[in-house]
Amino acid sequence: MARVPIISIGDVLIASVQEDLNDRDAANLQEELNELLEKTGARGVLLDVSVLQLIDSFLGRMLRDIATGARLLGAHTVVVGIQPAVAVTLVELGLELTGVRTALNSDRGLRLLQILMARERSGIWSHNERKRTH
Amino acid sequence: MSASHEVGQIEIQKARMIEEQRLTILELQTPVIQVWEGILALPIVGSVDTARSQEMNEALLQKIVDTGAEIVILDVTGVPVVDTAVAKHLLETVAASRLLGADVLIVGLSARTAMTLVHLGLDLSGVTTRTTLAKGLQLAFSRLGLEVVRRRDSDASSFVSDEAVL
Repeated sequence: MARVPIISIGDVLIASVQEDLNDRDAANLQEELNELLEKTGARGVLLDVSVLQLIDSFLGRMLRDIATGARLLGAHTVVVGIQPAVAVTLVELGLELTGVRTALNSDRGLRLLQILMARERSGIWSHNERKRTH
Repeated sequence: MSASHEVGQIEIQKARMIEEQRLTILELQTPVIQVWEGILALPIVGSVDTARSQEMNEALLQKIVDTGAEIVILDVTGVPVVDTAVAKHLLETVAASRLLGADVLIVGLSARTAMTLVHLGLDLSGVTTRTTLAKGLQLAFSRLGLEVVRRRDSDASSFVSDEAVL
């Protein structure tokens, strides 16, 4: 069984996947994240999947569910570090993870989370949510 | 006997040449260009089939990882016909790039292509499109918070060193 460590830094929960996840592990991760979100009131979730060489349809759906669930608990989710080969597979499976925000790496992901959280705070919710800052 | 042997040799040579040319074309057809820091451009010339689209995808995704690009411009000016199959391939590229955190702009859509897409009932509404590469680049710049302005001291009428500075 692969437990995913979740650390809470500031307003953000960071879950960094360390090894391949089976269906049970993914469900546990979702449960744990939701519990932590409820407990800490975090406003963002960063999910690092860079070690995963394969994301199957179940895990793909799970990522989407995690994001949807987190949203209900008032947090934005950004999935970071999807490998190119994994991206191709996901698209071929028809799992484009619509509704899940993605970023190249943790650095970019955190930046995106900050933007999303700041925007929500200020109440500006523009059409183009992913507008860049530099 | 010897004549048929020679014919066989020629056939083999021909086949080898065709294979070499195929590989050359394969290499030539998927250049991924970094046009600016954070911006990649992929000029597509000729028709897009499944094999080619896969090649393009691989090259592009790898380049996104290597350069950390945030915006990809797909230029379809050189694609003669954008039909259902081609559009599907393009949308796959868009989706895969998005998973890596890069936004994709499709540029070079002609009036005829737009008509075709509408007639076919294809939905490109999730993708930002522009008519020319220049417009796409401009949009990419503005998204990255960059601005292209003409230098003040530059003489607008002169052809030399008329470089725009960022």
